[in-house]
Amino acid sequence: MTRLIDLGLNRLSNIIFDMAILAENTVIKSIASYKEDNMETTKEIFESSSKLRFLQDEVSVLTIELIARFQPVATDLRYIKSCMEISYGFSRFGRYAYDIITVLETLGPLKLCDKSSIIHMSGIVLEMMKTSVSALRLLDNSMSNKIYEMEDVVDILYKKSVRECTKITNQDNLYSDNRCNISSALILKYLERISDHACYIADSVNYIVTGVTSPRR
Amino acid sequence: MLFNILKSSNNRKPDTKSYSLPSSKNGSSVSGSSDKSKLSISSLNAWFGTKLALKNIDIEFKQNCVTALIGPSGCGKTTLLRCINRMHEMTPNASVKGKVILDDFDIYDKGSDPVIIKRRMGMVFQKPNPFPTMSIFDNVASGLKLNGIKNKSLIKDIVQESLEGAGLWNEVKNDLDKPGISLSGGQQQRLCIARALAMQPEILLMDEPTSALDPLASSKIEELISDLKKNLTVIIVTHNMQQAARVSDYTAFMYLGELVEFGQTAQIFRNPVKELTERYISGKFG
Repeated sequence: MTRLIDLGLNRLSNIIFDMAILAENTVIKSIASYKEDNMETTKEIFESSSKLRFLQDEVSVLTIELIARFQPVATDLRYIKSCMEISYGFSRFGRYAYDIITVLETLGPLKLCDKSSIIHMSGIVLEMMKTSVSALRLLDNSMSNKIYEMEDVVDILYKKSVRECTKITNQDNLYSDNRCNISSALILKYLERISDHACYIADSVNYIVTGVTSPRR
Repeated sequence: MLFNILKSSNNRKPDTKSYSLPSSKNGSSVSGSSDKSKLSISSLNAWFGTKLALKNIDIEFKQNCVTALIGPSGCGKTTLLRCINRMHEMTPNASVKGKVILDDFDIYDKGSDPVIIKRRMGMVFQKPNPFPTMSIFDNVASGLKLNGIKNKSLIKDIVQESLEGAGLWNEVKNDLDKPGISLSGGQQQRLCIARALAMQPEILLMDEPTSALDPLASSKIEELISDLKKNLTVIIVTHNMQQAARVSDYTAFMYLGELVEFGQTAQIFRNPVKELTERYISGKFG
């Protein structure tokens, strides 16, 4: 027999996975727009980001209602608590996607800028997002290590690329434009933050499965 | 749901401040309670005729802690409670084997006196059962009188102290001569607690003490349990998972006469080790 709380938990899962798809698509679109110097997607990305924020509120209301009405325990309670954190993560994905396109809007066009470091890093970050969503979908915490390893790579790339941004500014013989350097530094930071949130989602999956809170890395 | 501060269920850094609330009103979380064992049970088996009702129970009840016994109907919770104060053997054809050590003394030793044991352990039942023909005062004083205490002033003092301990004094101090059964259900249950407290027990056994009460009366009993554990060790049988989570420091989950899992309440309700426990407390069976 289906428990009454299961209806609520299913609804919660549906919202979370809707958010996962929307967040992933929004980040992909934002990075593609940056690559192509396409500012026409700004409004669409803003709307997706707002929708993610709205869905985060929906999750918040639903989780509190489930706790108040059913007083869940054990896995149910851990899942509900984690959904609050995961929805925040997806909401942040949307916000950073919008921040990325805002950089293009504010400083662009950026056609002549070297975007290779960002393109390289975004590939890893998108893979991290996908893996964290798969881990959540399958409740498989064995994927966490892969995500953490990718985050280490992102952190190294971030520091290295930001340092390079400052070096290019000092070299007269290369194309040097502050707009390129500033935009790269900002977008690298947003990507690094997205990778952090992918790790938090992996942490949440680990918590749902084992009940153990992941130590701060 | 409010769990007490977890010292064992996660791997927070020692300097990480936890803002979880303690489970009890007096703030004595498990970490703050005594680690001393008050009652220790080992290899306890109990039968009704040939039917084995308790199978090899090993459990330790900590002093000044509340331990909740949970599990589906017929799992042996009440039988365990009744073995603890030697009530089980009063049932025709019932028998017990094993050790129940109260402090350093085995209550099933040949030389032990069941009457003295019952004096050291108060019991409160599911349905309030004040003596119907007695006044409020006499209900509380009855045990003292039966034990030969005749000093009226002493009895009066103990009755007041017991009613205060049960959180009932202010409500009945002007009506002590009225019949006990004239009180509301919740008050009657607190009267029964006062009656048990009058004998100054070391352990209070409570068998679903709030199942017949409304939510307000239940919450008063729960607050009382938290207060009582300052001076007593409390063992409570409950079918209400949230009540167990609210009032107890330790929880034991029983199923088909066996002790399936025992641990700190926060751990049991947040991250049970056994799949069976998880399924029961989550309402997936029972």
